[in-house]
Amino acid sequence: MMIKVEKLKKTFGENEVLKDINLDVEKQEVVVVIGPSGSGKSTLLRCINQLETITSGHVFIEGTDISDKNANINKIREDVGMVFQQFNLFPHMTVRDNIMLAPTKVKKVSKDKAKAKAMDLLGKVGLAEKADAYPDSLSGGQKQRIAIARALAMEPKMMLFDEPTSALDPEMVGEVLDVMKQLAEDGMTMVVVTHEMGFAREVGDRVVFMDGGYIVEENEPKQLFEHPQEERTKAFLSKVL
Amino acid sequence: MGVNPLDIIREYLPFLASGTLFTIGFSLGGIIFGTILGLFICFGKMIRNKLLRAPFVCYITFFRGTPLYVQILIIHFGLVPLIFHQSNGIVAGVIALSLNEAAYIAEVFRAGIQSIDEGQTEAARSLGMDRLQAMRYVILPQAVRRVLPPMGNEFISLIKDSSLIAAIAAPELTYWAQAMGAQYAIVWTPYLTISFIYLILTLTMSFLVNRLERRMATK
Repeated sequence: MMIKVEKLKKTFGENEVLKDINLDVEKQEVVVVIGPSGSGKSTLLRCINQLETITSGHVFIEGTDISDKNANINKIREDVGMVFQQFNLFPHMTVRDNIMLAPTKVKKVSKDKAKAKAMDLLGKVGLAEKADAYPDSLSGGQKQRIAIARALAMEPKMMLFDEPTSALDPEMVGEVLDVMKQLAEDGMTMVVVTHEMGFAREVGDRVVFMDGGYIVEENEPKQLFEHPQEERTKAFLSKVL
Repeated sequence: MGVNPLDIIREYLPFLASGTLFTIGFSLGGIIFGTILGLFICFGKMIRNKLLRAPFVCYITFFRGTPLYVQILIIHFGLVPLIFHQSNGIVAGVIALSLNEAAYIAEVFRAGIQSIDEGQTEAARSLGMDRLQAMRYVILPQAVRRVLPPMGNEFISLIKDSSLIAAIAAPELTYWAQAMGAQYAIVWTPYLTISFIYLILTLTMSFLVNRLERRMATK
């Protein structure tokens, strides 16, 4: 079991965003989380790597309870890559330095090795020629592909994607989804929050529908999209499909 | 009668020269110590715990909320004799300018750091960096670039404010202008002369800051 979420609750002040979440993600599984905005999808993802502190319940990463005060969250995060809606590339560094920063500073990988790895990853996301460019000179789709490469440079065991295509112009969505698809085929364990139903159906091993802070329904993509059991799932799917 | 102004300036030239050096020294001292101390106070003010943060908030409130002139007097006649058992205008001057500058620098830095998008920290942390690494490699380099213009303004203000130290007989520019004016009972010559020198100093500073800004922008 890569990720296990148990009775997770998260409140912001009076606002209870996650009410009782239980979720298991197996090794090499691609879980796609869908649902209306405000349903708590992103918060769930951010709780999984502790960017949000958990109000109650547990999140286990490979068996380690990360809500435990003694857990070394920095060490755990090395294994959990994250890709953000807004890319969050470091604008003061070249693309290559963006990718090399964490391996050299956190994992103490040598510069040469980190550089070779960066170039390798840039080749994989099809942006080798952008190594010396600064993020500001890139398109949204390129930025997101770099962000994926940056996360992969830490050689994570699992990846979290927080609406990775929501800030992109429509014509750039495909190039990012292609990279993610390749990643899934290579066997990466992935949790993807997205509004791309086509991706969910094609790449997801399991689709989780969230609404109002609960997981309402989860199933194989085909089952969930074609035979939703819950009224709320049906209502949501009728709007987005 | 009337003495030729140029002759007076010529007579005072060695004093004006050493005064200029002192003014530069006071300014550099204030800038260097003020920036180091300011960075420290800035981090102090960003502590989440209210109790631990309180001393830093008080510091900034005091040094920004009271006149520099009064601070100079307190430090010269109070603080320095208390510590060194005798007053010393030069020591008091550097201390006063540094402490005052630190309060302003702290606020400039804090604004700069907090203006960096939260997503930058989150990206750094999600890659396994701890708080300190995220601050050092991701946030600070961006913040420094952003605060360079307001820092330049603070440095220029500091050069001008250093003239207040004349009040405690530290031998900087304004001190010698006053001496010159008192000896010959003249106004225009000494004060216009030092105004000119101050202008050169402040223009040089703004030139240097501008250049640094441009160099960092192209990087």
